[in-house]
Amino acid sequence: MTEAASKTKKNAKTDSSGDDAGMDYLQSIPRRVVVVYIPLIAFLFILLFPFYFMGTVSLKSNEELHAYRGLEAFWIHDPTLEHIKHLLFETEYPRWLWNTMLVTVSSTFLSVFCAVCAAYAIERLRFKGSKYVGMSIFMAYLVPPSILFIPLAVMVFQLGVFDTYWALILTYPTILIPFCTWLLMGYFRSIPYELEECALVDGANRFQILTKIVLPLAVPGLISAGIFAFTLSWNEFIYALTFISSAENKTVPVAMITELITFDQYNWGGLMAGALIGSLPVAILYSFFVEHYVSSMTGAVKE
Amino acid sequence: MASNTHASGPKVGLMTRLMNNRNLMGLLFMIPAGSILLVFLTYPLGLGVWLGMTDAKVGRPGEFIGLENFVWLMDDSVFLLSVFNTFLYTVVASIIKFGLGLWLAIVLNNNIPFKAFIRAIVLLPFIVPTVLSALAFWWLYDSQDSVISWVLIEMGFIDETIDFLGDPNNARASVIAANIWRGIPFVAITLLAGLQTIPKSLYEAATIDGATEWQRFTKITLPLLTPIIAVVMTFSVLFTFTDFQLIWVMTRGGPINATHLMATLSYQRGIVGGSLGEGAAIAVAMVPFLLAAILFSYFGLQNRKWQRGGQDD
Amino acid sequence: MKKFTRRQTLKTFAGAAAAATVPPSLLSAAKSFAQDSPWKPESGASIRMLRWKRFVASEGDATQAMLDAFSEATGVPIRLDSEGFEDLRPKAAVAASIGSGPDIIWTIHADPHLYPDAMLDMTDVADYLGGKYGGWYPMAEFYSMRDGKWISLPYTFSGNFINYRVAACKEAGFDQFPDNTDDFLTLMQELKKAGNPGGFALGNASGDGNSWAHWVAWSHGGKMIDENDNLVLNSPETVAALEYVSKLGPTFAPGVASWLDGHNNKAFLQGSCSVTNNGISIYAAAQREGLDEVANDMDHAYWPIGPAGEPTELHVQFPMTVYNHTQYPNACKALLAWLMEAQQYNAFLEASVGYLSHPLKAYDDNPVWTEDPKRAVFKDTTLRTRPFSYSGSLGYAAASVFADFIVVNMVAEAALGAKTPEEAAADAHKRAERYYKI
Repeated sequence: MTEAASKTKKNAKTDSSGDDAGMDYLQSIPRRVVVVYIPLIAFLFILLFPFYFMGTVSLKSNEELHAYRGLEAFWIHDPTLEHIKHLLFETEYPRWLWNTMLVTVSSTFLSVFCAVCAAYAIERLRFKGSKYVGMSIFMAYLVPPSILFIPLAVMVFQLGVFDTYWALILTYPTILIPFCTWLLMGYFRSIPYELEECALVDGANRFQILTKIVLPLAVPGLISAGIFAFTLSWNEFIYALTFISSAENKTVPVAMITELITFDQYNWGGLMAGALIGSLPVAILYSFFVEHYVSSMTGAVKE
Repeated sequence: MASNTHASGPKVGLMTRLMNNRNLMGLLFMIPAGSILLVFLTYPLGLGVWLGMTDAKVGRPGEFIGLENFVWLMDDSVFLLSVFNTFLYTVVASIIKFGLGLWLAIVLNNNIPFKAFIRAIVLLPFIVPTVLSALAFWWLYDSQDSVISWVLIEMGFIDETIDFLGDPNNARASVIAANIWRGIPFVAITLLAGLQTIPKSLYEAATIDGATEWQRFTKITLPLLTPIIAVVMTFSVLFTFTDFQLIWVMTRGGPINATHLMATLSYQRGIVGGSLGEGAAIAVAMVPFLLAAILFSYFGLQNRKWQRGGQDD
Repeated sequence: MKKFTRRQTLKTFAGAAAAATVPPSLLSAAKSFAQDSPWKPESGASIRMLRWKRFVASEGDATQAMLDAFSEATGVPIRLDSEGFEDLRPKAAVAASIGSGPDIIWTIHADPHLYPDAMLDMTDVADYLGGKYGGWYPMAEFYSMRDGKWISLPYTFSGNFINYRVAACKEAGFDQFPDNTDDFLTLMQELKKAGNPGGFALGNASGDGNSWAHWVAWSHGGKMIDENDNLVLNSPETVAALEYVSKLGPTFAPGVASWLDGHNNKAFLQGSCSVTNNGISIYAAAQREGLDEVANDMDHAYWPIGPAGEPTELHVQFPMTVYNHTQYPNACKALLAWLMEAQQYNAFLEASVGYLSHPLKAYDDNPVWTEDPKRAVFKDTTLRTRPFSYSGSLGYAAASVFADFIVVNMVAEAALGAKTPEEAAADAHKRAERYYKI
């Protein structure tokens, strides 16, 4: 490595985020604006505009919602908190949030745990037949939930877990495990095998290798897997709709649709408020993990 | 035994040997995932395939009729249209999601202020429950009072409001756009994580050797990202192909079946219409395509031995 | 105004119930019913009931009050759950196929005919009620009977009629809403010219789309099946109907091809649609949300009559079904009979402010139909409706064809000009053939 390169590498290391800040000096400011900031702003606008819109709908009174024309959609003449108040105090929305959180966190932990074990087994242990087992896990996605839910309903009922959280906690992993396994296989694969060989030589058993060496290095992978498992399960609709029937056990997506829409009348303000309230806290939570992502990167990769 | 450097009493030796027996450990490690998937997936999967070969109705078990459902479906114009729609939807949406997702990942990989906050916000379209964002789009796509239409009219690009969901081609474009909007964060964040694993020193070394930005991109970034790209695009394709929520809420498959995907048609026929057997058959018909997508990317993954320095066996 | 007084009474009625005290009049009625009723609830009975999410809060509250009264009088606890309109039916079907679930489901359309073996025989209750209340309307019987037995109770029907803006129609030259299809076409054309178009759902709208599409096909004599369940969709009458549709289509507001059930509500309330078909929900929403301009200027009308020469309307049934798997059949029967007795059912009708209509002729006299003249047409819902399987039998084939939107798509294709009337009829016939082979 040349001296210049090692100096920039040192700069990169001292940078708290570990990014390629070291090479930024090579980009002129106007160039940066064009290549980075303008696309960034464009993306943010497109991705976030619907949320601004949802926000305006949730703060407008029903009269205003029906009376607007054209560009008036952007502004709120008479902001009102009635939808939010109705949602939080006159419906069981807080309970639904709790239900969703409970089910999501449980099935995420369960799925990531299973996925870690399975990915390690397939990718590292290379036991007999691991390739076929690996393939068969992917096959899980060949049957979408939209047709599995009837036979699953029968099973859920026979197991006596109908209308309980367990019905979801046990069935969501079928959607989550294959993806998490696959993701973790990719991360495990990127960890140099020599590390494990050294550990084996030093007398560690497989379990210790997994927990002390591989997992710490695969933390970004675990976080990614966790994030997506969490999101998929938070978002899930059809199983929650079928397996849960009492209003107090419902998850947020199902409850919003069944409690706030009566056939052809949509409580738009409440719906949009519920959508926002149900997403922002999760996004804020994510922002902490994204931070962790980045800071754990510096130790993760060997030269 | 290769690893018995501390040979204590026979009992410990056995445990250690067991713990290091690949096959046994492999089996043990597979049990959590394996049991859940076998019980809650494989059995219902078998049941689903079986249902597709019967004329089961909701509320009445059916009789075995072999491939009759499939034979008839081949002749059904609505089914064939749904196959076409599914392909169109999946291919177009996936390509654009990949392109835009990769671009966004690269942009986010830079040193920008409020990085963590921005990276989290970008996930919002993916976090908000699909049913609800679909409803928001429904309103946004209103044929007479859409904000999008009004803005374009004010800016002078068009004269009349756009019929987003009423005209078949517009409807397809609109749902594809909504799907892309929802899917970009997924692709972007996963690729971002992948980008972060690429050692910066590689870029630095290449720059010193005189590589242009484009060359750095095509010769370093893309090849090293390929395994992650394969993973994320396969999943993206799978999820898009079997998409249900977005279409169902926005158009129910209309106008005149122009946006019906195989998943929504199977639900409409199987559950709403009560023909479970036929619904199952439509769903099963998705399997060959999904299988092809999975095999393609799995073998794509397998060929990246050189990225691990030839350690694969 | 009288209607406010009644509404106030109901509010206090329901409010009192909500405060966990059942109004004495209701309670004593329940008690005497429990004593006299031929169906004595089993000891230790409890009932689980599932219903579709109520359209209007006052109806939901009134029904709950009645259930509470019954519970208190008979000691049978009742648990009521609510499910979205379009998600209830799969749940009901699953309950039928797995043989367990709620005891009573207040479901939609003619679903009991899809799983008749799972349904408890309700003939005794039906005969009792019919005898006491002037007899059932023919359609109520048709929807509920199979092989000579009653498999469900036709508890209520929901009307879907023309909603129109009075001033806009007057401007277009019609002081009264047209009562025949020719004038109707003229009206729509004039409205379009004046910039106040009407609009009818052409998307897969299970309520509004089906009602309007079947009306137009039937109005010209077209139909899916005949009395012997032979498929007769592709006929000169159907083609004539579609030709009519192809002239109507261009008069619609933009975007109707994407309209599901909620779009016409939104458009009408916003003033961008002046004629459509709907239940009473638009009017009720306008009143509730203070949209006086719309509420005062709108009215309801029967569907126009076409060459068929008689009313050809399609309204929606909401039957009460008791499942065979229930452990307390007598308790369920007692409850349903109780709900349809005069004191309760009258209160139910009034609380529904016109959304829901009655299947028993005696209830024609209920004041809900006269106190607000704009509700008048809804009184005749059960009288005027045809079954969606017209003119054949209800069953899997009819239900599947209905759920697959074959008629709706056919009408949409003709309205949008995507196919010629002949092509649309022929293609729809071919699609329906699959279902009628079985």
